Amino acid sequence: MRPEEEIRMTRYKTYVLVWITLVILTGITLSAAGMQLGGWTVLIALAIAGTKSGLVLNYFMHLKSERLLIFKIIIPLVMVVFLVFILLTFSDLAFRGGVK
Amino acid sequence: METHKDVISPKLGMWLFILSELILFGGMFILYSAYRYKNPVDFHHASRELEVLLGTLNTVILLTSSLSIAASITAIQRGQRKLSIYLLIATMALGLLFLVNKGFEWGTKIEYGIYPNSPTLLARAKGEVLFYGLYYVMTGLHGLHVLVGICIFLVMLVFIVKDRINQAHLAPFENSGLYWHLVDIIWIFLYPLFYLIT
Repeated sequence: MRPEEEIRMTRYKTYVLVWITLVILTGITLSAAGMQLGGWTVLIALAIAGTKSGLVLNYFMHLKSERLLIFKIIIPLVMVVFLVFILLTFSDLAFRGGVK
Repeated sequence: METHKDVISPKLGMWLFILSELILFGGMFILYSAYRYKNPVDFHHASRELEVLLGTLNTVILLTSSLSIAASITAIQRGQRKLSIYLLIATMALGLLFLVNKGFEWGTKIEYGIYPNSPTLLARAKGEVLFYGLYYVMTGLHGLHVLVGICIFLVMLVFIVKDRINQAHLAPFENSGLYWHLVDIIWIFLYPLFYLIT
């Protein structure tokens, strides 16, 4: 067996720990939504969702042990493209009202 | 005859597909945020009517199914074929359970006359119409992905039983697992954005 394959063989214990963390984070999202935090609520919800995705990507999808450089490039690249889309959309929305 | 197996290309292809899926859903998430930004109060009112309990339950179901499919793939890698099959069946059952819950949720809404273009919905505020439009399209497309995932797993199950997927050859199985985790990640974002607007 090649060493890279050995790394990918994450143990069951790690999976269960990640799953427990994911469920706890879901609970935190739910209870945070019940609090009166105003504009923070959506930011907290998105931050937790981001953390959860990070856990799924790194452990369940094995990105953490991915050795190939291309994975370290294409994924952030897509995130940046997405961020540019968001920024363009919202800069459009924010300034649209002023122009008749 | 000795054959050289390429492990990288199938995985890279799968990841490119996953990224294109993220952009597909990403476009809808941007549409959602733009409309929510314009109609914050309507979105809040409409979101109130969704069943938070069912949404939360479905989140836990999908997270658990991600665990079981990850473990199922590890089991195949370790040569624990039987365990892998059980875990795969559990994953499919959880996926079905998710769809059943979703069906009940949609069913109740439709019973109340809330579905795209329904007279009851159109009589409501503009933002609520937009919210439910996005709700049906996004959870619908996501549900379709869950359904496709279950079908792929069914094929994988047959392959494992027929020993066409085993310790030495499991790239398709790993890729179907990646697909399932993607579906899970999309739900991780759909859940707070639709069920938990305050």
